[in-house]
Amino acid sequence: MRLLLVEDDAMIGEAVRAGLRQEGFTVDWVREAEAGDAALKAEAYALLLLDLGLPRKSGLDWLRELRRRDDRIPVLILTARDAVADRVAGLDSGADDYLVKPFDLDELSARARALLRRRTGRAEPTLRHGELTLDPATHEAYYKGHTISLSAREFALLAALLERPGAILSRAQLEQRLYGWGEEVESNAIEVHIHHLRRKLGAGFIRNVRGLGYTVSKMP
Amino acid sequence: MTHSIRGRLLAWLLGTLVAAGLVIGYSAYHRAQEDIDDLLDYQLKQLAFSLSHQSVGSVPMPPDLLLPEPDFITQVWDKDGVRMFYSRPNLAIPMRPRPGFSNVEWNNQSWRVYTQLDGFRIIQVAHPLSLRKEMAADLTHRAVTPLAALLPLLGLGIWIIVGHALRPLSSISSALRARTPSALEPLPQRDLPDELVPLVGSLNDLLQRLNRALEVQRQFVADAAHELRSPLTAVQLQLQLVKRAGSPEERTTALERLERGVQRSTRLVQQLLILARQDPQQPEEVQAVVDLDRVAREVVADFEPMAQRDNLTLTLDSQGPLRIRGNGDSLRVMLGNLVDNAIRYTDRGSVTVRVHREGGEAILEVEDTGTGIPADERGRVFDRFYRVPGQEAGEEGSGLGLAIVKRVADRHGGRIALDSGGGGSGLRVMVRLPDGNSQA
Repeated sequence: MRLLLVEDDAMIGEAVRAGLRQEGFTVDWVREAEAGDAALKAEAYALLLLDLGLPRKSGLDWLRELRRRDDRIPVLILTARDAVADRVAGLDSGADDYLVKPFDLDELSARARALLRRRTGRAEPTLRHGELTLDPATHEAYYKGHTISLSAREFALLAALLERPGAILSRAQLEQRLYGWGEEVESNAIEVHIHHLRRKLGAGFIRNVRGLGYTVSKMP
Repeated sequence: MTHSIRGRLLAWLLGTLVAAGLVIGYSAYHRAQEDIDDLLDYQLKQLAFSLSHQSVGSVPMPPDLLLPEPDFITQVWDKDGVRMFYSRPNLAIPMRPRPGFSNVEWNNQSWRVYTQLDGFRIIQVAHPLSLRKEMAADLTHRAVTPLAALLPLLGLGIWIIVGHALRPLSSISSALRARTPSALEPLPQRDLPDELVPLVGSLNDLLQRLNRALEVQRQFVADAAHELRSPLTAVQLQLQLVKRAGSPEERTTALERLERGVQRSTRLVQQLLILARQDPQQPEEVQAVVDLDRVAREVVADFEPMAQRDNLTLTLDSQGPLRIRGNGDSLRVMLGNLVDNAIRYTDRGSVTVRVHREGGEAILEVEDTGTGIPADERGRVFDRFYRVPGQEAGEEGSGLGLAIVKRVADRHGGRIALDSGGGGSGLRVMVRLPDGNSQA
């Protein structure tokens, strides 16, 4: 899952990015609303983590702008403003959730997962497909009653495909989801991950639609 | 002396009344004495006169003329000095041959005597002077007694009236007593007696200043609490990353980050404390003679390692001792903040500290070859917690450095000027400490 973090404090930004990467998220980090706006236009993000006390343009103003132009990206506000009025203003300006600093990394990733789940219309925390179950909170995968071990990238790739079974995701789309800025992507990285996944789940689980990309069949 | 206004007024007013009563009594007594003297002298004269028109033989005893117990003593002598008549045989005042009034001491008493010569007889009428004194005392007593009787009544009246007049005072004090420390709105000034208007005015003035000072303090605490959240958030996240670290390398990186986070929090707290100590509301600390040259040398020595680490040249340009009156610790903190900022915001080049005198003003100057501050931001950089957008200090700045500089300069009556460095880039901060503070 690729997230955009807009946070002007270097230490907090660095730590949030590092923590969320450990949770298997792909995180891009910018320090101003303007840069965030440019990033949103260039890439497809699943979630925006937004600090309010930004230099020049405030996070709240930018959020209102986003909603005015009908950008539907889920937004989680991270801020030091803890007054009820601030929280109400944040949510009423179009945020989906509000987290007050100082916060816990586990809570942040749990809220992020909840928002992502809702975005795809799911209420159940785990992803199920036939005999495969993925738990995004623990990164555990079960297949035919057994735990299988997946790397963080493999897990993320599989989760991306299971989000909408039947939909075809191109290699570029998958790369975009799995790799943030400044991360080296080997030209055959996706193929390698797919290869490993097929070994663990059986050859037929992920189908290759020639020339278009990859998909898992709608219902096995 | 009592401390109650009511008691004092009562004592003073009653005292004055008593004194006035005494004066009135005294003068009434004198006046009565004079009148009685005139009256009774006239009486003596009339008595003598009436006797001179009667033959002595036909006068048995002089009648009780005026007084219930006439102490008049009437005597008549012929021209040879042979007493022809006396009214009181046992009180025979010796004959005064001189006509007219005289006072005579006789028989342990003072007598008023009137003597009339009418050619062949000497008529002498007398009465005791003590009689006159008694009459005067009696008259005076009658005049003064009602006044004395009124005194307790007057006292009661004064007590009640003064208490009534002082009621606004007690209502103000009860209004003040009912206040909580946070309720600092002004006292009502309507319907106040003229005498209390200045008092309530000054009180309201004080309340207003207190309110403003409290507001500043409250704002400071709110700002500080808000600002402390960022480094604390960073520390908390960094700590979690340390806990999660899988490999020794990850752990080392995480610990280094955590250390920087803790340093940042410490620095912010230190700066907050310094700023709180430089509170403009607090009285000026004891001022001593400070040598700016020495302050600059110490600061430069302190920051030399930091400059070396960043490959910057840190130089001091001073023309020897320059003494001013001021607070050495504050000035050291101020210059330290300026040098610290200069080093943080300068990637390469130099930082120069200058100490010199110009037109009687002592000037502290710090110039760097760093990023500088855009002209339109220069007015705001002295605000607490304001950071110039887009500028990155090596670590996160506290947002308080220049606020502290301004506070110290203000407390020394100084002025601060910001402009670009010598080459048109970088920043030059000039602190001018005024003439009045300088000492040769």
